Amino acid sequence: MTILRKCPILVLAVKRVVRPAIVLAGFMIAVLVLGTVTSSAAERTSNLWWMPEVATKSGKQIDQLIHFIYYLTGIVFVLTQVVYVYFLIKYRSRRGVRATYSHGNNRLELIWTVIPAAIFIGLWGYSNHLWWNVIHAEPPADSLEVAVTAYQFGFSFQYGGADGKLGRSNVNLIGNNNLFGNDPNDPLTRDNFQSGILELPVDRPVRLRLNSKDVIHAFYVPQFRVYQDIIPGRTIDWVWFIPTQIGSYQLACNQLCGSGHYNMKAQIEVVSKQEFDKWYKEKSAPSNKALAAR
Amino acid sequence: MAQTLIHAAPAEVHSAHAHHPELSFFRKYIWSEDHKTIGLQYLFTSLFFLLVGGLLAMGVRYQLAFPNVPVPIIGGLLPRWLVQESGAIAPAGYNALFTMHATVMVFLVIMPLLIGVFGNFLIPLQIGAPDMAFPFFNALSYWLFLLSGLVILSSFFTGSSPAASGWTSYAPLSSHGAYSGAQLGQSLWCVGLFVNGLASIAGAMNYITTIINMRAPGMRMFRLPLPIWALFVTAFLLLLAVPVLSAAAAMLFFDLNFGTSFFSASSYGQPLLWQHLFWFFGHPEVYIMILPAMGLASEILAVFSRKPIFGYKAMVFALIAIGVLGFIVWGHHMFVSGMNLLLSATFSFSTMIIAVPSAIKTFNWMGTIWGGSIRFTTPMCFALAFVSMFVIGGLSGIYMASTPVDLFIHHTYFIVAHIHYVLFGGSLFAVFGAIYFWYPKMFGRMMNETWGKIHFGLSFLFFNLTFFPMHNLGLNGMMRRIADPTQYDHLRSQQPINVFITLSAFGLGLSTIPFLINFFYSMFKGQKAGMNPWESTTLEWTVPSPPGHGNFDVTPTVYNGPYEYSVPGMEQDYLPQNQPAPETARIAAH
Repeated sequence: MTILRKCPILVLAVKRVVRPAIVLAGFMIAVLVLGTVTSSAAERTSNLWWMPEVATKSGKQIDQLIHFIYYLTGIVFVLTQVVYVYFLIKYRSRRGVRATYSHGNNRLELIWTVIPAAIFIGLWGYSNHLWWNVIHAEPPADSLEVAVTAYQFGFSFQYGGADGKLGRSNVNLIGNNNLFGNDPNDPLTRDNFQSGILELPVDRPVRLRLNSKDVIHAFYVPQFRVYQDIIPGRTIDWVWFIPTQIGSYQLACNQLCGSGHYNMKAQIEVVSKQEFDKWYKEKSAPSNKALAAR
Repeated sequence: MAQTLIHAAPAEVHSAHAHHPELSFFRKYIWSEDHKTIGLQYLFTSLFFLLVGGLLAMGVRYQLAFPNVPVPIIGGLLPRWLVQESGAIAPAGYNALFTMHATVMVFLVIMPLLIGVFGNFLIPLQIGAPDMAFPFFNALSYWLFLLSGLVILSSFFTGSSPAASGWTSYAPLSSHGAYSGAQLGQSLWCVGLFVNGLASIAGAMNYITTIINMRAPGMRMFRLPLPIWALFVTAFLLLLAVPVLSAAAAMLFFDLNFGTSFFSASSYGQPLLWQHLFWFFGHPEVYIMILPAMGLASEILAVFSRKPIFGYKAMVFALIAIGVLGFIVWGHHMFVSGMNLLLSATFSFSTMIIAVPSAIKTFNWMGTIWGGSIRFTTPMCFALAFVSMFVIGGLSGIYMASTPVDLFIHHTYFIVAHIHYVLFGGSLFAVFGAIYFWYPKMFGRMMNETWGKIHFGLSFLFFNLTFFPMHNLGLNGMMRRIADPTQYDHLRSQQPINVFITLSAFGLGLSTIPFLINFFYSMFKGQKAGMNPWESTTLEWTVPSPPGHGNFDVTPTVYNGPYEYSVPGMEQDYLPQNQPAPETARIAAH
């Protein structure tokens, strides 16, 4: 404290800035704690400052990459800030001490150009490997195909029916009478059935066919680590993933789409294979009946 | 203070007036063609818009912490587009709030503060010129900017909603009034941005011409102070990028009002075309809003470290590299937009590469304070904080540059944290530092140091309390641009963090008050500043504060680089640019 007292700026800083800041910070922490205790949230009680638990296979690899970047940037952050603050203290203005006269050092410039460049290119290699070989690899042949159409403000889902195939669709056919743009000339589309929730079997690849009826929406499930914009006028068919955790999730629109955007969501149920087969059979029964009667 | 060059300053100021006859009030303060007055006009106007944008941000934060709670006291007075019957903010009103917050902050605050204020004020003074190359265009540029601001503000008073499709205005939400419910507001947004673009283009053309043609004798390009280099590169970015936005805004206006379909899928237009046009402007825009801040901070760091800039040429080349590479990274805003996946991979690569010059600049700033004799004045505190916050904003950018990680955090609060670390902790902190630093030159008086420190301490604290937890919200999957996070299962448990952020944001808003009081009080009652209160080397400090019309009585001759501090063999620890080095001085080449 004696060193503190000798420096009038520090005394002033402590009196006028640090003390009120501590009081305010204390107040805010109190609010935070109080809020946490009183909030009625039952959904998540632990690990509130970090990512929700991952529920897809590719998501696990994305998480590994996030952890890698987290430690990389964390180390760089701590190192630079520690050195920075050390410099600020060490090289503070003192009576009789003159600054070092230096215009720089070319060797240092070279070092701090080449090393970051190498790190960034390496990181790009890692990221790009994941992008092509895991996330956008060709989906397996046994994938469950689901068509998703987004509109102001909701989602609808369509499954392939008894044959398990969606059949051809055309983005220009999408309208109120044909939400998924099914091609009426393709017999495969006739037994398709619709659903208001996205029911998925665990551990089986799912391939999405994404369409929008009006504006840009998005398919976002944080637990799946999946995000894709859904654009009108263009079918996006490259999104696929393998759910690994049985449970309920929420699909959220994450691209501003109008006044109801804040509440545009759908339920996702990841269930066991048996449960899914049962649900699928029940849902496809009516369209099968209609086909048989025809 | 050692003013060795201009011996009889007061007498010469008089003679300066003799060259330039007394101007009428109108010509002096309203339609002024003096770059300094225009700079101040920009300053007052954009500080006003800063308050507008800040108030809008308070509205945004209020809604996120207390969704569906009627706004206390003023709830009943708020316009119908903003609130519901109950006085709580409506979801559509919330969309308009954040749209207008970002539009105002980007186009009417950060850009004019950095480019309008400091570009106008500093360029002629730091290169030793009497004024800009085209004073008329300079005045025109300010009045066009003001007009664009008024057009954008007017959309609050039309009775219907202002633009509400985000500052990025993705079509077709923005291109059909029926989708967004803001036909008139969105049209005014297009007009405002178009006019704003004209102002930017006029300014940029002027800056480039002035810097190339009007440098004082001896002011070689590699003797230019770094703010000038930064503004020079920025002016090229403006000149090449802004016309694209103007064209896009005009196309959007046609789609909205005249039934064209550039961007609507239903008539074979392309929604993605808007995104490509917008981000082709939008990414250089990001650098337009940070390069001048880098220049201003570099200047302040050198002055108060009493050291030459570490690696001056490396700094210049890094600025140029960022400017050039800035044109080939726009696609990193569109990794998940549905564009070709191969494009994502290439844009990811160029994005990783553009991080290198930013890293170089950071290391050089650290090299500048190394071995210095650091004076912790208010401008220095802000410049130091700028570097620190820029490091955080830069490091968080690496997450988004990695395509697979972007799949998870795209459009979450992580990106909101990132952009505010760069634009507030970066650009705005540098602007605050620069205002404290050049205030004596602008008004002839010093700003109060104690109140400056209080302003700094509170802003720094509340800035971090506000924006750092947003990283956590983003990792938790909190989407941006949603009016009510409690609608989602995975976000309900995060609500206390939102409350905490909102309280911190209110603190951050209030921390502007000491600044404003200090700013206006010092204008009349501040301690009188001499010619060179900070003992600085650049040319603006060799003329009286504030400089007379025409700036320099005699065109200065430049002998030295811009940052000759603590030269060995000299008594005084700074060597002004217009002063030949004494024979004893041992100046090193760089």
